[in-house]
Amino acid sequence: MQVLESIEWKVGGQQGEGVDSTGEIFTKTLFRYGYSVTTYKQFMSRIKGGHTNFKMRATKKRTRYAGDMLDILLCLDKETLEVNKHELRNGGIAILEDKEIHIGEQEHFLLAAFPLKQYATELGNPLAKNMIALGISGALISLPKEEFFTFIEEQFAKKGDEVINSNKAAVEKGYALVDEYLSDYVKVLDKIEKTDRLYISGNEATAFGSFMAGCRYLSAYPITPASEIMEWMAAQLPKVGGTVMQVEDEIAGITFALGAAYAGARAMTSTSGPGLSLKTEALGLAGISETPIVIVNSQRGGPSTGLPTKHEQSDLQHMLWGAHGEIPRIVLYPSSIEDAFYIAAEAFNLAETYQCPVIIALDLALSMNRTTVPPIDAKRVKVTRGKLISEEEAKAYGEFIFHRYRFTEDGISPRVLPGTEGGVHTASSNEHGENGYITEDPAIRSRMMQKRMEKIKTASLQNPFYVENGDADVILVGMGSTRGIIEEVAELLAKEGVRVGQLFIQQLHPLPVDKLEPYLVGKKVISIENNYNSQLLNWIKQHLPIHKSAQSITQYDGNPFTVSRVYKEVKELI
Amino acid sequence: MATLKDYRGDLSTWCPGCGHFSVMAGIQKALINLGYEPHEVAIITGIGCSSKLSEYTRTYGFHTIHGRSLPVAQGVKMANPNLKVIAAGGDGDGYGIGLGHFVHAVRRNIDMTYVAMDNNIYGLTKGQTSPRSAHNFVTKTTLKGNKEYPVDPLSTAIANGGTFVAQAFSGDIKTMTEILEKALQHKGFALVNIFSPCVTYNKVNTYDYYKDNLVNIDAPLATREEAIKVVKEHDGLVQGVIYQEERDDFQTKLGIDWKILDVKTGEMDEALLRQTEAMFK
Repeated sequence: MQVLESIEWKVGGQQGEGVDSTGEIFTKTLFRYGYSVTTYKQFMSRIKGGHTNFKMRATKKRTRYAGDMLDILLCLDKETLEVNKHELRNGGIAILEDKEIHIGEQEHFLLAAFPLKQYATELGNPLAKNMIALGISGALISLPKEEFFTFIEEQFAKKGDEVINSNKAAVEKGYALVDEYLSDYVKVLDKIEKTDRLYISGNEATAFGSFMAGCRYLSAYPITPASEIMEWMAAQLPKVGGTVMQVEDEIAGITFALGAAYAGARAMTSTSGPGLSLKTEALGLAGISETPIVIVNSQRGGPSTGLPTKHEQSDLQHMLWGAHGEIPRIVLYPSSIEDAFYIAAEAFNLAETYQCPVIIALDLALSMNRTTVPPIDAKRVKVTRGKLISEEEAKAYGEFIFHRYRFTEDGISPRVLPGTEGGVHTASSNEHGENGYITEDPAIRSRMMQKRMEKIKTASLQNPFYVENGDADVILVGMGSTRGIIEEVAELLAKEGVRVGQLFIQQLHPLPVDKLEPYLVGKKVISIENNYNSQLLNWIKQHLPIHKSAQSITQYDGNPFTVSRVYKEVKELI
Repeated sequence: MATLKDYRGDLSTWCPGCGHFSVMAGIQKALINLGYEPHEVAIITGIGCSSKLSEYTRTYGFHTIHGRSLPVAQGVKMANPNLKVIAAGGDGDGYGIGLGHFVHAVRRNIDMTYVAMDNNIYGLTKGQTSPRSAHNFVTKTTLKGNKEYPVDPLSTAIANGGTFVAQAFSGDIKTMTEILEKALQHKGFALVNIFSPCVTYNKVNTYDYYKDNLVNIDAPLATREEAIKVVKEHDGLVQGVIYQEERDDFQTKLGIDWKILDVKTGEMDEALLRQTEAMFK
């Protein structure tokens, strides 16, 4: 029997049919079996109906992309087959729910149809038809069925033995069907050593990192694809004395958090593009009042309502520039789900150290899809709070009105929290003097602007960017979820003897220009980004002279790139 | 014990005769009478003439953006329940651009006081109509008279579950200060709408107008229905605590052992990390 080193699998059907949970069960089963998994969910902005699918790729070596192709396609309806069959490899298998059994070779794959619903009804649990399909999937790769059983026992523990047993019977039915009808097509997914890893999404990693950094307050308004951040925090924060507040609108999302931050909390808000648009005035407030706050912007297809459940990376300009007037800001963009944890934790340190808003950019592909990451390194990010001073230190200044905005060498003023004796002051959205009171004095205004704008110059993440083959003549540049695709394109090119560099920028503002220069200037730069305007490339061009040697590959159709497309276009450009 | 001098902040830029002077004095007096020190209080304001209160009163303060005093103030209280939190601003700030927050703050019932300084006009932008301007009120932007009808903040608050709804007049400092003291002692969201005449731009809603027209409500009405009825009967021109109800405030209802400000510096709590990590396995 053919031994597989990896498997690409997809389940699709109408929304509300359990596509997502079916995908999760199969993925988690393979994850626990020891494989590294990547996933991608396609869904529409509605609750019931409409095609939805869940893609999973399991590999021995960890990847950051869910793959272009399919070995197995589970179709809970005919639309799934039509929409996705082109992804099937030669020799792939499509399983279709249909009224009766029919099995036959199609143009490049095998189509096997079974009356899954009828079988499930016969087993006494019509809901278990997806479990039969999972059984078929497992049998086709010779996965021991016990791998499903432990999962079923855990998943349905609360529902009792009857549900557990009927689901197990459904899985067994799937194995029996393969045995009877598809035994010639069975392959073996190679055994693998189990190691300690996590199965986590970008939203979960961001929330988890924030939680571990001491964030105990999150106010937000539900929005796709960011809602899971507030949902995760809503379940965890009360256990440690904090809370999530679902507030009345996006503006309240940021302004509640600003109030909490002013009072001394590590506070955050989470949103997507439309929410960031609404929060922009308050972003300016955070900037001028020097209030530390973390804002997560999980990007989706814009503009306006745009493609609310689709992927895009088109808010870059807004995150970098959005505001009237000019404010200090730090903009970070994890290039992997693993990095999302550490960057979220670092974001709170940076916000408090530099007393300014920190925006964490995510994108739908990074936010909503789970993958395998190594266990968290508890020592990597330490919690630091910058120039937060005590009552004694505040009193030592001996001021009737504490000079919250005092001029200092590094532009960062000692900060004291409300409730502290000796620190009474007003934070302000108006231009103000050192004591926080309104001023329109041109000299003070100029100095305050310089203080605020220059104080963040030294801000730096532990990993402001990642670079591979930095000395190559061609360098592929990306951000966020495009990393996984770029890595695989570079690998394909390397197999052909073409060596390209890869650069994944995680700190967009302040851009680490000096550190980036040797990898970009004098090279052929190709940015790969999901927006129309090549926003990342334009941002780099504002800082480094790469205009004549830089090009971009863009896609803004709502879907992430495929490796095959980027590979083809990179080859044309180099 | 703190004195008025301790509460004196930046020099005021309000017009001579502005109602806001008395409102500020009333707030400071009420805080002193109740024994608060300036560092125990946070005054959060929006934007407008009245919102400068946070600069002119020496307590902790945040002079925020237009219409957002309530969300910022609620965030402050959520993080530090020990602070005495007051949100303040004008009628444009609170009932125009900030009206959405107002209704939600009322129904949420966080333990804080909201002082709306209501002069029925936009002052800082020099005399345009406000959401509290009367029907047919003539301003620079309503040349033939305002064809809208004013927001009724008292009825809105009462109808949406407000637990303390009061109205005062800056021309009657004694009553206003008493009402403010009650509001500050109320455990929950307390609204005090204060008629605070704009002597520069509003020649209709003057000190004399309120002196002649305000009706005293000696005790809170027994039910919400009766309270709204009384407000409507007098076209909103009432003075006193109109409605009050004891109900657990939002933070008490959540029943969380609050540790929002307890941020531990140094290495991450590894035990918590590993325990939380388990859900991703």
